[in-house]
Amino acid sequence: MEENKNKKPRVAIASLTSCEGCQFALLDLGERFLDFVGKIEMVDFRLLEDEEDPGVDLDLVLVEGNPVTEDNVKTLAALRKRSKLLVALGNCAAMGGVPEIKNYHEGANTIKHVYKYINGISNPEIKELDNFVKVDFVFPGCPISGEEFLKYIPELLEGRIPAIPDAPVCVECKAAGNKCLLLEKKPCFGPMILGGCNAVCPTARMTCQGCRGLRPKGNVKAMRATLKNMIPDEKFENIAEIFGLRDDIEAREKSAG
Amino acid sequence: MADIKINHIAKMEGHAGFMASVLNGDVRSAKVEVQEGIRLIEGVLIGRQYADMPTIAQRICGICPVVHNLTSIKALEAAMKVEVSSETKKLRTVLELGQIVHSHALHLFFLSLADFLDMDNDIQLVTNYPEETKIAIRLREYGMDIVRVIGGRVVHPLTNEVGGFKKAPDAEALRKILMDSEARLADALALGEFFRKIKIPDFSRGTEYVCLGKDRTYAIYEGDVISSQGLHIPVEKFESDFHELQKQHEVIKKVDHAGHSYMIGAIARINNNRDKLSSNAAKYLESLNLKFPDYNPFHNIWGQVVEVIHSIEESAKLIKELLNADLNNVVTKEYKVREGVGIAAVEAPRGTLYYHVEVDGNGYVKNVNIITPTAQFLANLEDDVADYIKEIIDLEDKDKQKKLRGFIRAYDPCISCAVH
Repeated sequence: MEENKNKKPRVAIASLTSCEGCQFALLDLGERFLDFVGKIEMVDFRLLEDEEDPGVDLDLVLVEGNPVTEDNVKTLAALRKRSKLLVALGNCAAMGGVPEIKNYHEGANTIKHVYKYINGISNPEIKELDNFVKVDFVFPGCPISGEEFLKYIPELLEGRIPAIPDAPVCVECKAAGNKCLLLEKKPCFGPMILGGCNAVCPTARMTCQGCRGLRPKGNVKAMRATLKNMIPDEKFENIAEIFGLRDDIEAREKSAG
Repeated sequence: MADIKINHIAKMEGHAGFMASVLNGDVRSAKVEVQEGIRLIEGVLIGRQYADMPTIAQRICGICPVVHNLTSIKALEAAMKVEVSSETKKLRTVLELGQIVHSHALHLFFLSLADFLDMDNDIQLVTNYPEETKIAIRLREYGMDIVRVIGGRVVHPLTNEVGGFKKAPDAEALRKILMDSEARLADALALGEFFRKIKIPDFSRGTEYVCLGKDRTYAIYEGDVISSQGLHIPVEKFESDFHELQKQHEVIKKVDHAGHSYMIGAIARINNNRDKLSSNAAKYLESLNLKFPDYNPFHNIWGQVVEVIHSIEESAKLIKELLNADLNNVVTKEYKVREGVGIAAVEAPRGTLYYHVEVDGNGYVKNVNIITPTAQFLANLEDDVADYIKEIIDLEDKDKQKKLRGFIRAYDPCISCAVH
């Protein structure tokens, strides 16, 4: 790959099939986002510029969304080839997101509820980015946290991979002075989920449904035991489906034996 | 046969290109080519508990999640006959006004403006217009503050649910928004002055304007379906008068009214409901000297400026009323899960959003239909563009493409919503 010495890092922000909410979480940083844009050479960011992507080599690409169409899959492969680092931006890219719900139920047949003519429409099983390409880092969440983005992006721009501390959502939840939702018998996934979101959901009295994924030491067995008195197993799986967590939980339980 | 092809239109929500065929000056077809994948949101909702519906459905759109959240909740409440307090309705209206301010400010300034100033990107725009950029960012922040304080988060809000809110917003934070509103109104009027001076192309094609209508209110949260051709029906009848149609290989079900295309969104609301605007919004609109009915789709931009002004004034008024009421009345009270069919509509930034939901006696969703603004106006956009191409047919290819991109962007389409 050609060297890009003494120059601003070349960055692209790309969106596959998605709500684009993670890009908006960045844009919503307002002037702080524009400051970030000033520190890089933005090669492609379709929300702000009309110019065709020149196809040059990249230092970093941030990818949001699911590879659903054939074009999505090709775009993803091409970006991986061009970029030193590829980072998943948010829950869809990292864990499958809400579109993954179909995998757990009717699969490809889900389309029959929506469309009369289904020929020629790409309707694949929903898979995370790392099933297609190597992913170097994940900004977790649905959507990502803008604050967390600003915290870790400098390291990525220097070519280093940050590490999000292994702490549950509960740490920030307690610090916010919230009353624990589990004590009110509300099925909150906080203890097994990776913190860093500032516990935005429990602070709004919304239970954590795990959009940031299992933390490395997240104890699924203990979580199941805690929730057993509140909800049936079926409900546990249902909550875990919303943000594509269910397959990760199953994989964790399998590896634990 | 001359083809006009645009591979990808940037600076709008979602992925799409454009294709037109022109033969001897006659436009044979003009079509927005959708490049967005399907997420089957309606399909994944079927068989799930109703309480998951707002959480999942709002993820249709990262720019307008508030309106998907609100409309799905209203449809569920209609299905299960859940009554909410007048304070809840008021607070939800403020939430939606905040959504409209930040979505419009984004589109007006960051997505569309460069087209009228003949610039290719926003880096150039913010460099050349630093003051206006700051105003646009402040306006966005006003709208986002409203959503953050009431909803708990800007992208994919958290507090709103069937029956009311999980918690009441912090009165101090609401008071702060109220205090900001005066300065933001001044900002909006200043930005209005700037937009008044930009050169907007002349183009006109008659259409039918459809939106919600309500007595003495610039309808946002509720109303009947009304149109510039005299239509006036309850929201429940929308699906019998308006029809979704899917063509082979297409992933957007376009909607027609009795076989013809129609227009919704800011320009439709201004045309139908302008006598109900707040005082400064009405004054600003008057200063633009437009003739009504106004059939220039580019004026959607001005319509959005008018609505930013209106939404700031109206949100301040409603927040004041809420601060004088008991905010705890917005908190959800116990209700019964009941079998039923619910239909609801709310004005989204881009036009009226409709939800139809059927729930069984155990609270499972049996059926859902979501009709988004862009799916409704796409046919009107294509009809407009087919006409517009005739006016720009003699331009160089590159300039033609540029004009068409600008035209399509002025409509503020959201392809992610339209496909969902």
